[in-house]
Formats: sequence, C-alpha cells, structure tokens
Amino acid sequence: MVWVTNIIMAVAPAFAAYYLTAVGHGVFEKSGVLNLAIDGVFTLGVAIAYTVALLAGTAYAGSVVALIIAAAFGAFIAYMVTKLPISHGAIGLSLMFVGYGLSALVAMPIRSTTGKVVSYPLSWVFDIGLLIFAIVLGVIMHYILVNTKLGAAIRAAGENPHAASALGVDVLKTRIIAGLLGYALIGLGASFFFLAYSPAPYSEGMGMGNGWISFAISLAAGRHPLLTIASAAVFAGLLSNKFVLQGILGLSIHITNMIPYAAALAAMVIFMVTPLKRKLAPPRSLGKIYFKEERTV
Amino acid sequence: MSAPEAASKPTPFSKEGQPPAKGEVTILVRNLVKRFPGVVALDHVKFDLRKGEVHALLGENGAGKTTFVKILYGVYVPDEGEIYVDGKRVTFTSPLDAIRHGISLVSQIPQIIGSLTIAENIILGLEKYGMMVKIRKVENFIREQSERIGIKIDPNTEVWKLSYTQKQLVELLRAVLLGAHVIMLDEAVTFLPIREKRKFYRFMRDFAKQGGSVILITHKIPEAMEAADRITVLRRGKYVGTVNAKEATLDLIRKMMFGARSSEITYKRLPSSKPDDKVVLEVKDLWVMGDYGAFAVKGVKLQVRAGEVLGIAGVAGNGQLELIQAIVGLRKVRKGKILIRTNGDLKDMTNKGVGHIRKLGVGYIPDEPLKYGVSVENNIEENLAMLPLIAKTVINWRKMRALAKKIIEEYKVVTPSSKTPVKLLSGGNIMKVLVSRELTVAKKMLVAYNPTRALDEVTAINVRKIIKDKVIKDRIAVIMASEDLDEIFQVSDTIAVMNSGRIVGVFPAEKADRDKIEKLMVM
Repeated sequence: MVWVTNIIMAVAPAFAAYYLTAVGHGVFEKSGVLNLAIDGVFTLGVAIAYTVALLAGTAYAGSVVALIIAAAFGAFIAYMVTKLPISHGAIGLSLMFVGYGLSALVAMPIRSTTGKVVSYPLSWVFDIGLLIFAIVLGVIMHYILVNTKLGAAIRAAGENPHAASALGVDVLKTRIIAGLLGYALIGLGASFFFLAYSPAPYSEGMGMGNGWISFAISLAAGRHPLLTIASAAVFAGLLSNKFVLQGILGLSIHITNMIPYAAALAAMVIFMVTPLKRKLAPPRSLGKIYFKEERTV
Repeated sequence: MSAPEAASKPTPFSKEGQPPAKGEVTILVRNLVKRFPGVVALDHVKFDLRKGEVHALLGENGAGKTTFVKILYGVYVPDEGEIYVDGKRVTFTSPLDAIRHGISLVSQIPQIIGSLTIAENIILGLEKYGMMVKIRKVENFIREQSERIGIKIDPNTEVWKLSYTQKQLVELLRAVLLGAHVIMLDEAVTFLPIREKRKFYRFMRDFAKQGGSVILITHKIPEAMEAADRITVLRRGKYVGTVNAKEATLDLIRKMMFGARSSEITYKRLPSSKPDDKVVLEVKDLWVMGDYGAFAVKGVKLQVRAGEVLGIAGVAGNGQLELIQAIVGLRKVRKGKILIRTNGDLKDMTNKGVGHIRKLGVGYIPDEPLKYGVSVENNIEENLAMLPLIAKTVINWRKMRALAKKIIEEYKVVTPSSKTPVKLLSGGNIMKVLVSRELTVAKKMLVAYNPTRALDEVTAINVRKIIKDKVIKDRIAVIMASEDLDEIFQVSDTIAVMNSGRIVGVFPAEKADRDKIEKLMVM
C-alpha cells in the first residue's frame, strides 16, 4: 500500500494542475475560440495564488482568487473575439504577454519582503482529495458538453457560429460562458500547480511554459475531458519523474521537456488516421473570425 | 426598362401607407434597404404578410429574396426601413429575436450543424428548455412531434449522416417545433422528392388554416401559383408588385420577374445532337460504396457517346451522387471498370484519381456547389485559376481577368467586379461562375449533378442551352444526374432511370414516356 500512496503523492498534485488546466482549455476551444492566452493567464494564476495565499494565510484563498481573475480573462477574450471581427491570435498572444507582465507585478513586491510560502498540506489524504476533486470536475465538464443544451450550444458555436446563431444560439453569451468555465479551471489548475505541486519561494516567471504543456495535453486528448484524464496522467507522471528519466535514461533536459509536445503531435496523427477523427477533430470554426454582417452563402 | 407591367395592376390586398390592422397583417415591411459592399441588395422594398396566408416571394437570382428573409430572421440588420410584427415595430439583431417573435426560417442551404445530433440542433432554439436541460429528455418529445407531422427520424442521429433532403426535413421540423406562427421557406422544399413535397405542401396548408403564415421562396412559378394565396415579385432588389395567385397567370408572373427576358422561357426539348458511334465513357458493372458502409451503386452499366447527353433521372439518394463521384474519381470503385476515351482508345481510368481524370478534359459540376465547387472566400479570377487545366504553375492573371470578363458577360453574372469574393454573389450567380468554368475545361466530357439547382428559370434554361450548344458544337459527352425531371427531359438525348443503386431503364429521350419514367423512379 505504501507504494500506492507514494505514487499518488508524487503524481496527484501535478495531475490535478495539468488536468484542470487542460480541460479548461478544451472547453473554451470547443466554443471556437483559439486559446493562445493560456500560458500568460496560467503564469498570472501562479503569481496570484502565491500572493493571495500568503496575504490571506490560507492556500484556499489563493485558489479562489486565481479562479475568479482567470475567469474574468476568459470572459474578456470571448467577448473581444466574438463581438469584434479581430484575430484570435492577436488577442490571445497579446494577453499572454499581459499575463506574463502582470504576474511579476503581482508577486514580486511581496516576494521582496518575505521568503515564506503558504501551500496546501503535504498529506496523502489531501492529495487523494485533490485527485478526486479534479476528476469529478472533469467529468462534470464532460457531462455538460455532451448531455446539456449548454454543451450543444458551445459545440455549435465552435463548429459554425453562423449556423448556430440561425438555430437560436446566442453565440456571444455561449462563448462568454465557455470562457468563464474554461478559464476558471485554468486559474484553478494554475493555483494547484503552485500551492499543491511545487510550492517554493516565488521567482519571476514561475510556472511559465506549463500553460503550453496543458495546451498540448488537451490536444493530445482531442479536447475530450475524459480522454484528457489519460493524457494528463501520462504527462504528469513523466514530468514529475523528469529527473528520474534524465538520470536513468541519460536523456538531456531539453529532450525531456520536448516529450509532451512530441507526444501531442503523435496523438493527433493517430486520431487523424483512425475513425477517432470525427469524434476528436478540432472544432471547424476554431480561430475563425466571426463577422455577423458579412454576406454569407 | 420601363415600369413593370404588374406595377400598374391593382393589388387587391395592398395596404401601403396605412398602419397595420391588428389581427390581419402579421408582418408589415416598409422601405427596406440593405446594402452590401458594392451591391444594393434591397432597394426600398415593401411587403405585407397576412395571418393564415401562404405568400410566395418570387424573383430571379440576385433579386434579393434571400436577403429579405434573412433580415426578417434577424441574420442581417437593415440599413433603412421599418418592420412591424403584429402592429409593433421591431428591430431584430439576431435570429433569437425573430424566433421569440414566432418567426422561423428554413434556408436553401441547411443551417444546421453536422457534428451535432438532430435533437441537439433542434433544442438550441427551444427557449422553454434551460441551458442545463438534458438532451435525452427532449429526444422523446422530438420523436413524438415528428411522427405527428409525418416525418420519420431518429433524433439521436448526427446530422452529417443525413442526405440533403433529410437535412431539409430536419429544418422544417425544427421550424414547427419552435412554435413559429410565421415560417419562411427559402427554396427549402424545391428539391424535396415529390412525395415529401406534396406532404409538406399539405402541412403548409393546414398550418395556414390554423392561423399561421408562410413566406415561400421558390423558383418554380407553377408551384408558387398552386401553393400560395398571394405572390410578391422582386427584381434586382426592387419591389415589382403583389398579385393574388388566383388571378395571376404564368405569363404575368414571368413578365414581372424577368421583364422582356421572359420570352426566353421554354420547356421544349432542346434540339437533339445526333451522337457519334464513338463511345467516350463506358461504365462496366460498377460497384461503389455509400457513406454508411453499404453499396450505393450496384452493378451499373452505361455508355455515353460523343455528342450525347445522358440524363440520369432518379429521386435523390438512389446512388446517383456516388455514381457521379466515382466517374470523376472522387469515390473509390470497389468492383467494375470505368473507361474513358483517351487518344483514340477507351482506357481504364478506374480509381485513377480525380486529378488524373480531370486532366483528360473532364468538367465537373458537383452537388452542393458552394461547398465542393467553388472557394467562396476567393474571387472569380482566383476561382478560375484554381483548375490546373486553366492555369499553369505560374498564373497569368491578365489571362484570368480576360476569361473572367468573358464569363461575366456571356452568363450575365451579377457582380461588382471579377475581383469580388464569390461569397458576396447570390447563390445563382455563384452557380453561373461554376458552370461556365467547368464548360471551359470540358474538352471531352462534362459530369454534372443538378447543374441548375437554385438557378431561376431564365438562367437555368440558358445554362441548359449553353451545355447543349457545347455538346453539338464541340461533340463532348455529357453525363448528368438531376432530381429535376423537367431538366432531364429538356437536355437529354438518352434518359437512364436510377433506382436503389441500379439503372432500371434506358430510353431515347425523344420517345421517352414521362409517366413510365416517374413510375420507375419510385417503384
């Protein structure tokens, strides 16, 4: 039994962080918004989680505030790309850099006065709880996407917003909801990344790059919340054992850092040449500018 | 052009200048103006729809019919003008607004989402169901309702698996389930098989009897005269007139629609072209799979000679599409052979691929042309340059522009310029661009599926004439499947009837008996 708890303790926090972030990413992209701001908001989420937990004296506060602020970002992105005919790439990448910048502004002042860190308890009971919490949230998201009218609306907005609108979907509202839900999970994931997986005195740019890893985890599972359990578990396992891999197999750190992206690429190729193609294909209108007044045929 | 004949004719129901009387007029439109870049789509159009009536909206391609109903459905916001629903002035900024006012639209191109199930597509507009409602719960409701109006569907089917006809039926069902009191049909029933169409017209009648109203857009004038109470005609974005359908004659409506060009309309058989003995296309015992893992083409055998138009008649979904696709190399042949004359001999072209076959000088007009025939984001010149037979590796744009100009003039394409993205053109004009391009490359053979779908009468007849002229002059072979029997009879030299994947009869068109062919189509 000891080894089971050991594995859970080693992998669960990383899993929860990557899994929630990846599911959030998938939910948002299902609505047709290309989510390139993810890494910036993730990095900001880490900074907020660190700062708020420290100020409030409890890690839970860090998670809640990170969730709220990230959700606001999601709603903002959804609003901008749906209301105005502007490029998803421009908005996403700009906000990514805004997130990077803000993260230093948020966390560095307090970091310069203290070396203290407030985090979640280091116990296997908490880790199991976290694991279950993350999976339950993922399953709920899957249920919403597949079985509810909201989920159908999100998928419709991602496939063809013009047709969705003709069918009676309020595309703007739907995408804002998807943005709120998706980014709430991303904020939560970022907070767990810091508060549960790797709590340490804050350093500038902490967490940067892990948003992209979650992006790859989501792609590797075709944005499917349940399949993401598998891809997140594999990646979380690999990444939490990065040093083991480097040590045992003698792989360079650059190679081990590459693994998630190479695996995502491989997974996508596998989907596209198998019957999974239809189920896991990207939303047809992902990243396309939605311009209502244009004459469409 | 002087004032259209019909404008002087008194219109018994016209209510212009007066406020709408409640309980009588359900939709009143005044001075509606809509401009698109370079085009005035609607120019001060007026219109009124009464409760309990079927009101046909007619006009040639590009007359503004689709734009008009899209404004009433909230897809476009008008630049000027007023819309009243039940006496109240309204401004729709999205289809949801229109749905809330009980107005629903069934489009020519099904506006439903392929990756969603039928139930999911329908539920999206039903406001009585909240965001978190379980879709399963609504499936039974949809199943019951669809059976009630005589449409057989499984609501759990994903829409991409449906044929065009089935998609249209889903849209119709959706409009009914939305509880609309105004249903607008934009060429929606035009291509339904005859039996479904009759069923639907009957339903439309009942719907009107119960106080509902229908706006019917169709390019089949006799159908409009039969099904509608009143007819309003638009021409080039302008209101021409409204007439009582009972008082209208085919001639009058045609004159309203086309002005002087109405004299070009004829359904007489075009001159036969005396085929050679030279076989251009030979299909031997062809077996082709459909989309659902069953054979759609079952042992088809046919021949097309130079200078011959072979028309394949049949109800949609009987394997014509798969046969046509296999011939141009877009669908894999499982068994059998396709031979095409090349350098004097019939050569085996089975599964050689579409690029190879097209390079032999084969033109192709596909079904769903907006999806498979043109790239709507690109302009006319670019749509020409796309074909390897027209442009080489380095594109000579001056040549493309000249060719585009020629096509625009010859086919009377309504477009601001040859550099306008094709999506800004009306559906009929896009079709003209496609047909003309394919005729340019059809040095040997033209393969077509519903080549005049969605074209107005004058344009459709002109397209058929141009195809026939090309056959007579250039001695090409044409194989054409069409769901429109009028078209088959007008153009074909030989008529083959296809039913359930098999050719069930071949007749020389001059001696073909229409009743017999209709029977073979549905037996």
